[in-house]
Amino acid sequence: MQVVKLSLKKANKIPIEADNANPDNFAGKTAEEIGAIPVWYGNGQCPLGDLFNVEVEGSGSVENTKIVFEGDVSRVKRIGQNMSAGEIEINGNVDMHCGFGMKGGKVVINGDADSWLGCEMAGGEIILNGNASYYVGSGYRGESCGMRGGKITVNGNTKDYLGEHMCGGEILVKGDAGLLPAISNNGGKIVIEGSATMPASEMKNGTVIIKGEVFDLLPSYKEEEGTEEVEGVTYRKFTGDVNVGGKGVLLIK
Amino acid sequence: MSEILIKNASVCDPAQGINCETMDICIRDGKIVDSVSENAKVIDAEGKLTMAGGFDGHTHSAGKINVGRFMNPNDAKKNLVPGLSGQVARTEKTRAQVGYNTPNTYAIGYRYAKLGYTTICEAAIPLLAARHTHEEFKEIPILDKMGLSLFGSNWQVMEYIRDKEPEKLAAYIAWGLKASRGYGVKIVNPGGGEAWGWGKNVSGLYDPVPNFDVTPAEILMGLAEANERLQLPHSVHVHCNNLGKPGNYATTIETMKLFEKVKPSRDRQSLHVTHVQFNAYAGTSWRDFETGAPMVADYVNGADHMTFDLGQVIFGPAMTMTADGPVEYANARMLHEKWSNQDIELEDASGVVPLFYSPKSFVNAVQWAIGLELALLVKDPWKVMFTTDSPNGGSFVNYPEAFTYLMSEKRRAEVISGFSKMALDRMVLPGIDRELDFYELAVMTRSTQSKMYSMPEKGNLKVGSDADIAIYDILPGHVDPSTEYAKVKKAFSGAAYTFKNGEIVVKDGEIEETPKGKTYWVNAKVPENIDTAMQKDIDRKFRKYYTVSKANYMVEDMYLQKPVEIGTEGVF
Ligand SMILES: [Zn+2]
Repeated sequence: MQVVKLSLKKANKIPIEADNANPDNFAGKTAEEIGAIPVWYGNGQCPLGDLFNVEVEGSGSVENTKIVFEGDVSRVKRIGQNMSAGEIEINGNVDMHCGFGMKGGKVVINGDADSWLGCEMAGGEIILNGNASYYVGSGYRGESCGMRGGKITVNGNTKDYLGEHMCGGEILVKGDAGLLPAISNNGGKIVIEGSATMPASEMKNGTVIIKGEVFDLLPSYKEEEGTEEVEGVTYRKFTGDVNVGGKGVLLIK
Repeated sequence: MSEILIKNASVCDPAQGINCETMDICIRDGKIVDSVSENAKVIDAEGKLTMAGGFDGHTHSAGKINVGRFMNPNDAKKNLVPGLSGQVARTEKTRAQVGYNTPNTYAIGYRYAKLGYTTICEAAIPLLAARHTHEEFKEIPILDKMGLSLFGSNWQVMEYIRDKEPEKLAAYIAWGLKASRGYGVKIVNPGGGEAWGWGKNVSGLYDPVPNFDVTPAEILMGLAEANERLQLPHSVHVHCNNLGKPGNYATTIETMKLFEKVKPSRDRQSLHVTHVQFNAYAGTSWRDFETGAPMVADYVNGADHMTFDLGQVIFGPAMTMTADGPVEYANARMLHEKWSNQDIELEDASGVVPLFYSPKSFVNAVQWAIGLELALLVKDPWKVMFTTDSPNGGSFVNYPEAFTYLMSEKRRAEVISGFSKMALDRMVLPGIDRELDFYELAVMTRSTQSKMYSMPEKGNLKVGSDADIAIYDILPGHVDPSTEYAKVKKAFSGAAYTFKNGEIVVKDGEIEETPKGKTYWVNAKVPENIDTAMQKDIDRKFRKYYTVSKANYMVEDMYLQKPVEIGTEGVF
C-alpha cells in the first residue's frame, strides 16, 4: 500500500490543472519523483512539488495507491482525470472536472465539488460528501455521450444539468437536483431522492427515478402509463421524451 | 541571397519523369535553380525519398470548417492520430493546437507541413462569405493557399444562362472571382442549392431549377463555357448532382459525358469531378446499395478530358461540410445527428453534419472500398488526385494511413478482414491486387494538382519552380511498401524536412519555422463595355435583395496575405 499526501504550500488564486494527479502516475514513485511531475499553473507548467508538499508512505501498484489531498483544493482542477484504479481522498472543496473520464478506482470528496464532476466517466466510483455544482456526470461540450459507466453518489444537492447526455452508469443524489436533470440522456440510471425541475427532457433511453417533488413536469410527459414498483415503493410511470421518440423511463412518486 | 544544396536526394518527380534517382537539388532565394555557390548550406538527403511539397487540391480548411468547430467543440480534444491531432501546448515556435477533424487554423498549417504538404486549395468559398475564408487563410501558417468560389446555384448565373447571355455570364464569373479573391469555379449540386431554398432538390441533370427555368446540365455547360472563355487556370470543379444517393453513379457518368464536347482553353482537363467516392454508388436504395466504382472507372479509363479526386473515407469520426444543403439535411435526419443549415442569400446553400464511419456498418465499409477502387481501377494516375475531401471523408492527418491502403494489398486485406459478408458482396476491392509505387503516389499527391490547376511552379522540382520540397526518411527500393507499410506510414507522418520557399519549416517531423504563405487568386480580364452592362444587373441585385452593399461585398487586397494575382485574358 502506498499513500501519497498532498497539501498546497499556499492557497492559489490562479487555477492549477492537476490532470496528472492520479494513482496511475503516482504508483511506485518517491516523493521526489512525484514532486517533479509537471502540472499546469495558469498558462505555464511547473513541477507539482513547487505547489504542493508531497509526502509518501510505502510503495505500491496503481490499485494499491491512495492519494490524499489535505485541505481546500477549490482552485485545483481535473484531479483524478482518466484514473484507472486506486483511490483519491479529498478533504476539502475541489474545483471543476474532478474525475473527468475516470475508468476505475474511487474518489471520495469530503467537501463540495465544482462543475463537471465525473464528466464522461466510464468506470469506478465517486462519492461526494457535500454539494455538487453543474453538469455532474455529463458530456464535454458537443459530446453526445456523457457518463458511460461507474457510479456517482452525491450525498448533498446538485445544481442544473445533472447527467446531461449520460449513456451508462448510475448517479444517486440524496438531496435535490436543479433544473433539467437527465437532459438528452441515452442510457444509465439516475435516482434523485430530493426534488427536481423539468426532468428527462429529450431523454432517448435510460431510467430516471425521482422520490421527492417534481416541479414543472414537461408537457411531453403528459401520458401516465400506470405504475411501477421499485424496492417496495410505487411510482407513476412515464415513457419518453416523446419529442425525440425516446424510450426512457421516468418514475415519479 | 540564401542558398541551399540538398545532396544525394532520392528524387521522385513525375513532372520530369524522374523515378527515384539520386541527385542534388539547388535552391536560391526560394526557387529551385541549376547550381549554387560553395557558400550554400548543405543538407544531406542520402537515403531519403524527396518529392515536391504535397498539394491538397480539395480540402475544407477555411470558412465552413468554422461551423464544424462550433458545432463540435469536443473535437478539440480528439487525439486519434497522436502527433497530428489533439491538444498540443504552445511552444517557442508554435501556437497552441487543438482538434482532429476541425483543428484550429494554426494546427492546420503545422500538420499539413509535417506531412510534407505546402499548398492547399479550399474547396468551397461562398462569395458572400469570402472575407471570412481569407481571414482564416491569414491565420494558417506556412502553406500557400487558394480557394474555389461557388457559382452553381447563383441567381445571376442562372439568369444569364436562361437568357442566353454568355458574355455577361463570363463577366460575372470574372467579377465573382475578383470579389471573393478566388482561384476557380466550383459547382456544387448545380441548381440544388437554389431548390433547397424551397425545401426541394434537383433529381438529375435535366430537372429544372424552381423559378429559373434552367436545368443542372445547362448550368454546367454555361459555366464551363464561361470558364474556358476566361481561360481560367483551372477547369470547372464539379460536385455532381445526387451526391450520397444509391444509384448516383449514372448521374456522375452522365455529367462526365456532358463535358466531352467542352474544349479546354488551356493544356489541362475541361472537367474536374470532386470526391467521386460519394458519387459512385450503385443500387436503388440503402438495402441493395453497392459499389458503382467499376462503371465510373471504366468510363474514366476511356476518357481523356477529365480529372477527379477520391474523397476517400477514413474510419472513425468525420465532419461533413458542403454547399449541398439538401444532402446535409438527409444526413442529419438519417443519422439523428446535429445539423447546421445556412442560406447564402442569392448564391447557394450549405450544411454541416458530424458523422462516424464504422467498419461494422456495411454502407461505410463499401464507401471505404469505393474510394480505393476508384484509385486502383483507373489506370492513369495523372487523372487522379488523392483526397479525403477533408474532413468530409476523414481528416487530412490520416493521409499517411490512406497511402498504405493504396500501396499495400496486404494492408487492405487486414482492414477488409473486419468487414461483414454483406459488405464484401457489395464491393470489388478484394479482387484488386494493384499496389501503387512511390512514383504513382507522387503523381496523385503533387503532379496531377500542378497540371490541373495550371500551376507550373508547384508540385514539381523543375528548375525555376518554387522550392517547396518534402524529404521523407524512407528509401524506395530498400523498403517494400506492400509488406512494410508501417514504415511507409511513419515516414509520411513526419517529414524529415519540409522546405517552403527554400526555408526549412519542418525538421525531423517537428516545426522549425512558421513563415506566412501566399494567397493565389485569378483576375480575368473582361472588355469594359461587357463589364459595365453586367454591373448594372448586379447593382439591381444588391439593391433589391442582398443584405450587404456591393462596396462591402468585395474582398480587398488588404485581406490577403502575400497575394499573388494570376491574370488571364478573356476571349470575347
Ligand atoms: Zn469537398
